[in-house]
Amino acid sequence: MPWRTRPRHDPIGVLRCARAVVDDLRDGLSGPGARRAARRLRRLLNAPGLGLADLSGSLVWSGRAADSEAVSALVDQVLRGETAKDRPPLMAAPVYAGDGIAGALVVVGQVRRSAVREAASWVADAVERGRLEASADRAEQAELRALRAEISPHFVYNALTVISSLMRSDPDQASELMLDFADYTRYSLAQRGDYTTLSDEFHAIETYLALQRAVLGDRLRVQVRVAPEVLGVAVPYLVLQPLVENAVRHGIEPRAGTGLIQVTGEAQGNDCVISVEDDGVGMDPEHARDILAGRGGSDSVGLANVDRRLRHVYGPWYGLVVETAVGAGTRVIVRVPRFQPGVMP
Amino acid sequence: MTVTLLAVAAVMVVTLLIGLHGVAAMRTTSDFLVASRRVSPLLNSAAVSGEYLSAASFLGVAGLVVRDGIGALWYPVGFTAGYIAMLILVAAPMRRSGALTVPDFAEARLASPGLRRLSAAVVLVIGALYLVPQLRTAGLVLSMVSSLPYWVGVVIAGVVVSATLALGGMRAATYVQAFQFLVKLLLFIVPAVWLVAAVTPEERHTAVHPVEFTHFTEDTTVEFRVDVTLETSEAVTAATPDGGEVVIGPGEVTVEAGQTLVFPEGAPVPEVNGGGTPGGEQWHRPLLNLSDYGHPLLATLAMLTATALGTMGLPHVLMRFHTSPDGRSARRTAAFTVALLGVFYLFPGVYGVLGRVLVPGLYLSGVTDTVVVALPSQVSPGWVGALMTTLLVVGAFAAFLATSVGLLLVISGAISHDLLPGGLRRLRITVLAAAGVLVLLALPSAPLAAGMLVTWGFTVAASTFCPLLVLGIWWPRLTRTGAVSGVLVGLAGTLGAIAMALFGPPLEGWQAILVAQPAPWTVPLAFTTMVVVSLRGQAPPWSRTAMLRLHLDEPPRTSPPNR
Repeated sequence: MPWRTRPRHDPIGVLRCARAVVDDLRDGLSGPGARRAARRLRRLLNAPGLGLADLSGSLVWSGRAADSEAVSALVDQVLRGETAKDRPPLMAAPVYAGDGIAGALVVVGQVRRSAVREAASWVADAVERGRLEASADRAEQAELRALRAEISPHFVYNALTVISSLMRSDPDQASELMLDFADYTRYSLAQRGDYTTLSDEFHAIETYLALQRAVLGDRLRVQVRVAPEVLGVAVPYLVLQPLVENAVRHGIEPRAGTGLIQVTGEAQGNDCVISVEDDGVGMDPEHARDILAGRGGSDSVGLANVDRRLRHVYGPWYGLVVETAVGAGTRVIVRVPRFQPGVMP
Repeated sequence: MTVTLLAVAAVMVVTLLIGLHGVAAMRTTSDFLVASRRVSPLLNSAAVSGEYLSAASFLGVAGLVVRDGIGALWYPVGFTAGYIAMLILVAAPMRRSGALTVPDFAEARLASPGLRRLSAAVVLVIGALYLVPQLRTAGLVLSMVSSLPYWVGVVIAGVVVSATLALGGMRAATYVQAFQFLVKLLLFIVPAVWLVAAVTPEERHTAVHPVEFTHFTEDTTVEFRVDVTLETSEAVTAATPDGGEVVIGPGEVTVEAGQTLVFPEGAPVPEVNGGGTPGGEQWHRPLLNLSDYGHPLLATLAMLTATALGTMGLPHVLMRFHTSPDGRSARRTAAFTVALLGVFYLFPGVYGVLGRVLVPGLYLSGVTDTVVVALPSQVSPGWVGALMTTLLVVGAFAAFLATSVGLLLVISGAISHDLLPGGLRRLRITVLAAAGVLVLLALPSAPLAAGMLVTWGFTVAASTFCPLLVLGIWWPRLTRTGAVSGVLVGLAGTLGAIAMALFGPPLEGWQAILVAQPAPWTVPLAFTTMVVVSLRGQAPPWSRTAMLRLHLDEPPRTSPPNR
């Protein structure tokens, strides 16, 4: 390695420089950091001029310019033939990423061939890593979209049954509930952005609860208390509704007699804290832990889903907190920052 | 005076209780469909005013009128005019950005974590400059109504604020602040109307036709709460409460804090700290008289620049606009706030001119901020006077608590959210630590007028956040480097000038004004730096999109709020 012989490059400096190159090439050979990467590589190789070409042959150059026609002819040859052309003072090596060629590295000056080849494979690794990161990101986005809470068939069936049973006895209430149902489905099925305002979220759970009250009758009592400061906060779509649905289905429905669901939202400093509480049957804390870890079975994907989405959007500190015990009801607490860059309704 | 103390204790308890149950203000008992109803601009502007009207407004402005003359009434003009600048330039785009604080805005608009941390540091500076005078004024009032030493008053005030926060006042409750505004308004207006009705016709006449306060018209007791330098041309013999006598002058004499002197009737009034006496030529000139430096027009404009441009950068006020549902109602909120504050600020002048007639001795003590509280007992020594004093002390304390709780929360939020990210539980500890530091800062600040310190807070905001917000909202070519250097230059300039005014050599004339009120040069300097540095760089490619986001109306809400 040629730089080892030069005393002004200590190994840590070389490492730092190499890491910076990887960072710069995150967006590929034609990304915004390519010019900086070329400059760093040129210093590393101690070459008078160095260029990075992407697959289309367009060059990002650093240092002394070479005869541009010769260079583009050389790049063309390398990209087509996928072979290194290393005859000083103008050398070029292909950069492979994944299963194919991704570009070429062009070096002007008296530099050892092995050094050029080494640098080209380092660039290839950097490009490869950038691609993997981008695809991991895309996969996560797709998964997030797939995770977007779905309307539960159980609920649709119950709601429609109750509305049809009211059709004769109380047509006014039936039509009212039908509108609620329409409202609710439009909101849940909407294909808008990924985020909504808390005010719309609360509106959705209100229509949901209105329908559930029609299904459960007097057995369900509801209290919603929201401080006005948090109504404009942006949150991912349908983070509250699964929690309320969970409280109704696993808290209130199994118990005898009436149950109370309390939903509160308030600001605490720069955070917004929402809690959904029921006085139903509760559960074993171990079971709650399993559910949040995704081991709860198909019946309780809602909680784990919300938890994962919150953590993904706001970071690992902002997961769900579940307070529960058998027979003591359940309280689920959501904490989100009142403002997060990039989270916009 | 025990009654007054009990009343103050009652205010604290009530504030604490409201803090604990604050969220209950918006509740749907057994049914629902209230949550999606948004808060109205009028209610929100009452909350803004409730948060904004501090002890400095409640007590400080009248105190400045007694000390510096009726030109001090420009302070409330500036305090209110700030909302007009905010209305025009900042309110709606800031709300559309969704940002809660200026650090948030900085990160959203320029995607720079460094600028975010810098802005958070500026929030700390503004918050400290704003909170120290609140603690100081609360301490002074407490020590005045209870004859405790000043430092005990300050410590009690600090403990009350941090206890209120730590025990559940963490909520930014809109209804509580709106209610607080009404309380303050009533507690300020009722005693003022009563005072105007209760004083004799001659006193009313002298109040609006001031004569210079050259000789004591009756035996006057002066309690010195800070060290004061008195200057007389002839010797004055004053009595001490234990029967001794003190001869003052001729020449300069320094009276130490804690002393009480009784000046006999007919004795000439000494001048304080080199200034003129109340009621003189300079006193009733309608321009700001800044410590007798002269150049009243410059002084007035300097103060107006600071307050009118600084309001938009006050962290605790800006946060309130986040409650508005959209940009349009944020703008309306700002408009209503101008009106509500206008009503409140009609009355400090009443206390000021009456105070000059009735308690001119306060001027000698060097601390005129207590004039509002001192007035009622002068007018009527009986139970009515005591009642009015109690109302005013309670009002001042409510003002102090409302503003301080909000500010301390903002400071702690900036520390735990922007400067030391990671933990969530840290907020409470940060509150206590911040309160401790601020109490320590407030202890030596007794001689500094509350209005002065608050105006410095405004000046820092005007020279850092005002350029950042205005250019960030209205100029697509702003770059990160430009924003950072502008904020740094503005901050350094203002802090340097403040340090110079506090610790530097005494200056005279216009230089002294530009050091004590640096806004006329720091604001243009910060703007210029930001523009020049930005022009030399390349604006980020997404800045057009960011501008559209700030200026386009929100899409109409799709779900019907009410059916």
